Amino acid sequence: MKKTFEKRLWILDIIMLPAGLIAFFPFYLIIVNTFKTMQDAARSPMALPSKWIFKNYIQVFEETSILQSFWNSFIITVCSVVLIVLIGAMAAYPVVFNANRLTRFAMLYLLAGFMIPFQATLIPLFQLMSDLHLIDKISGLIILYTSGSVFVFFLMTGYMKSIPRELPEAAVIDGCSVWGIFWRIIFPLLKPITITSIIFQTMWIWNDFLAPMLFLNSSSKSTLVLQIYKAKGEFTVDWPMFMTLTVITLVPIFIFFIIMQKHIVKGIAAGAVKG
Amino acid sequence: MVKYVRQLQFLLFLLPILAIYSLFTIYPLIKSFFLSFTNFDGYTEAYDFIGLKNYVRIFSDDAITSAISYTLFFTFGKALLVTLLAIPLAMILDQKFLTRNIHRAIFFFPSIPSGLLLAYIWGFILAPIGSGVLNSVLSELFNIGPQPWLSAPLLAKLSTIVVATWAITGWHAVLYLAFLQSIPKDYYEAASIDGANRLQQIRFITFPLLAPAMTVSVMLLLTGGLKVFEIPFALTKGGPGYETYSITQVIVLRGISETQYGLASAMSIVFFLIVLAIAIFQVTVMQRREQGIQ
Repeated sequence: MKKTFEKRLWILDIIMLPAGLIAFFPFYLIIVNTFKTMQDAARSPMALPSKWIFKNYIQVFEETSILQSFWNSFIITVCSVVLIVLIGAMAAYPVVFNANRLTRFAMLYLLAGFMIPFQATLIPLFQLMSDLHLIDKISGLIILYTSGSVFVFFLMTGYMKSIPRELPEAAVIDGCSVWGIFWRIIFPLLKPITITSIIFQTMWIWNDFLAPMLFLNSSSKSTLVLQIYKAKGEFTVDWPMFMTLTVITLVPIFIFFIIMQKHIVKGIAAGAVKG
Repeated sequence: MVKYVRQLQFLLFLLPILAIYSLFTIYPLIKSFFLSFTNFDGYTEAYDFIGLKNYVRIFSDDAITSAISYTLFFTFGKALLVTLLAIPLAMILDQKFLTRNIHRAIFFFPSIPSGLLLAYIWGFILAPIGSGVLNSVLSELFNIGPQPWLSAPLLAKLSTIVVATWAITGWHAVLYLAFLQSIPKDYYEAASIDGANRLQQIRFITFPLLAPAMTVSVMLLLTGGLKVFEIPFALTKGGPGYETYSITQVIVLRGISETQYGLASAMSIVFFLIVLAIAIFQVTVMQRREQGIQ
């Protein structure tokens, strides 16, 4: 019995090996070509470099404003995510602990937001942003992204319902203010769902292309994704150079993935089991 | 009095979200609806109400009809393919084999970077010229001439689906995996004592218990698919012709690039209704299916 069990698992290793190689192949391809010259890459794109060169990496840092873009992406993501989490968590508090006609209405009103795709609001949004002078401003993009707090609000309400009502009630008796209860008692208890929210919002905002493409023009304000888009036009011939830029932008994502992998998986599971 | 002060304080917590959501989501949606009945071009202040003309024009605009049909084809094609691959992948990744963790990471990682980046990476593989990676492999192994992966209408559509499927299957497999791991092992033991073989166990235990995961996964695939933009935009630029124009791309093109605000707004409202209808239909059908299975 034991033996057939083990044999079958070896078969899985053998079956999955080519599947895994195919799934990983696109990443292998770009990484390997960053160490080649243009001619080498064009002649044999899949082979290992005939001569390993590192000048592409130096050249990317010298010729593009990749560090500036990295910084822009970083600022936009951090500010947006902090605002989203705070606004979302704050809004969930009265809905869960002070339910009345008004908060129930607010909840229904926000629920509608799930069904509204960003694209359906795009045209007036573009006008609105330009009326408010928020186009080509990093702050404009941050303000726009904070509407993502509706999603976090629902995650937070779901989670907050598991907090015993006795906790804030006891604090009221002790004379704690509404404001104090939230920051000292409720918010610290939200840590797990806060981590989930931070991860998913970070991934969404860091990777977003549509909003930066529409709302940021000047190259000094490009996000990383937007920089990749613009570089695609510049380096049409120089594939290794473009691939190097891509690989460099994958590095922070890869580090994020390694550090957060457990939390990401937990977040997907939590979201799914609840939904 | 104290009570009112408290209520007011609670209200303050809701204020930021209500303000930002009203301003950046509800107001633009209502305005989209309003603009869809006008010939507003974004510049001239004066515009006229033209009734349903924009809605009629949607159906005579090749870019728009093409975008609707491509987006639906992409959405359902990707949803089907991902579902067919993610469930067996999750079942395999649930087994304890030597390279399990490496494979989990390999399949999951593509769902982390931006779709634009992934599509550009695939651009090198699918490049239609002879030096494209896939074409050079095919010519060396099978002596097949270069195929226009991104420039023939049907091939281009299928290519975008394949790339999107590659990117997201691992993510959905993890979702199914979470459900698989919540199935008590006793069920399988009881079934094998009753003489059920492995296939019967999958058919009568695993599959029914995965039904709720399938509802969630398919819902995410459909709503995500309808919003597709980056992968076709980066791979094919919407071409050949309008063949792989997504609804998003056509809204940006007609609305922002060509400032046909009225037409693009009508398109936005139609898009909103498509999303609404498909989401409601899918959840109703699949929840009924869940109840039918259990």
